[in-house]
Amino acid sequence: MTIGGPGAVSKDVNAALTSLDAAPLVGGRPAFAEIAASQLDAVYRYLVYLTGDRAAAEDLTAETFEKAFRTWRRFDPRRGSPRTWLCRIARSVAVDWFRAETRRRRREETYSRDVPLSEEFGDGLPGPLEDALRELSPAEREVVALRVLLELDGPSAARVLGISQTACSTRLSRALRRLEERMNDVRE
Amino acid sequence: MSASELTVERLLRAHAPHAPETLRERVLALESVPQRRNTPSRRLVLVALPAALAIAVLAAVVHGVVGSGSPRAVPGAKSFSSQTQGGVSVGSGGATVRSSVHASADSTQALTAPSVGAPARLQHTDASLQVRVGDVDALAAATSRATRIATSLGGYAQSVDYRTPNGGGGASYLELRVPAQNVKTAIAQLGALGTLVSQELSVTDLQQAFRTQSEQIAQLRRRVAALHAALAGVSLPEAQKVLLQIRLAESKRALAQRLNARKGTISAGTTAQISLVIGTEKAIAPVAHHQGRLGRMMHSAVGFLALEGIILLYALIVISPLALLAAAVWAWRRRSVERLLAA
Repeated sequence: MTIGGPGAVSKDVNAALTSLDAAPLVGGRPAFAEIAASQLDAVYRYLVYLTGDRAAAEDLTAETFEKAFRTWRRFDPRRGSPRTWLCRIARSVAVDWFRAETRRRRREETYSRDVPLSEEFGDGLPGPLEDALRELSPAEREVVALRVLLELDGPSAARVLGISQTACSTRLSRALRRLEERMNDVRE
Repeated sequence: MSASELTVERLLRAHAPHAPETLRERVLALESVPQRRNTPSRRLVLVALPAALAIAVLAAVVHGVVGSGSPRAVPGAKSFSSQTQGGVSVGSGGATVRSSVHASADSTQALTAPSVGAPARLQHTDASLQVRVGDVDALAAATSRATRIATSLGGYAQSVDYRTPNGGGGASYLELRVPAQNVKTAIAQLGALGTLVSQELSVTDLQQAFRTQSEQIAQLRRRVAALHAALAGVSLPEAQKVLLQIRLAESKRALAQRLNARKGTISAGTTAQISLVIGTEKAIAPVAHHQGRLGRMMHSAVGFLALEGIILLYALIVISPLALLAAAVWAWRRRSVERLLAA
């Protein structure tokens, strides 16, 4: 996939998000296929940032949509956007994965912090930013994913994370500051 | 937000990862899988909760309607309720039938005794009456009249306890014995001494006990006769004669006991026992039945609802520790997720 300049991509993403998030909420329920097509990238991005593992993110994305498909009838557009709903499912799926990973690593007597993440978070992301993202905790990366990449508003992101809006903002600020510091270090 | 932060955000957005085509195909293929129809749990709760509430209220109303019935005691209407209890009466082994009537306060008429039990059988009747009179003078007159009624019907007053403490009120407690065949008349006349407040009638069937005792007596008599014949007959060794004499004495003693018991049974069957309490208004509180059918129904329904509430409260008491445990587990899991992702 060819990626244009930062500005162009951002514009495309924003336009897509606006059209996808707004349309389903008006009137009746959207079709699941429509939601899946529109939200797939968002869920995948979130899971890549959260897990730091593209292969796992791929599997977890599929699992998320399978779960969402099974519980699609329960989705109530009045209670939140499809993106928020999918992110909550994705987080639950990812937490299970983290637990399984932790158990597996314990068995192998290897701790997660000792294993450097080698996966790339972005498509063609500058190396220093990749490194900086790698140094963040999963909790920090997920808030960056939700607020920056998926452009969820504060209340929605806080609802996905299960924390207060203040805690969500604080976590985001800290994560962005760390990324910025790392970038500044590289520039200097 | 600083310029460098904006740059970071812009870079992150610009280089956001995209889902591989294989994943897209995999996810979009889900639409073709037949979906299992799930019942929305929240909606189910929203329906089930009011339904359960409605059933509880409906049950209370039904209980109220069924339980209210007709008034339990309105002497003017000559109605009464009775309940039959199977059982063994003390000392006789017969079945017992009980009937109780509570009269309303405004009644001045006497109740006729209900016909319970079979007249052809030997039965013991035990009646208990409460009669209210106006003042102490009326109490004295009614007490005298009660003993006269018992005597006139072939019975007697076994005990009379007349009490008029200071304060204007008073009561007399009478234990009367009347022939069984006159008990109905006696109850009717005693009930007419004043305002009948309550009446209880218990009939114990003694026929079976009487039959058993008669059979035992006949058997013992045959045995005594046989022993007499044995002793009067051919000469027996001295030791055997003594043994027969002992057996004869024992049989005679047993026969005397059985005869005495049967006499008691016959006496109980032919004489009715009436416990009469005559009291002034202060001494005997009237049994209030002022509520109408609607009132009784409401009272019964509210009582039933209260019972349901108590059951619910007990259920909550039982469930609450489990709910607390579940909340603790939930909180612990949430913290563990935070720790997991903060690592």
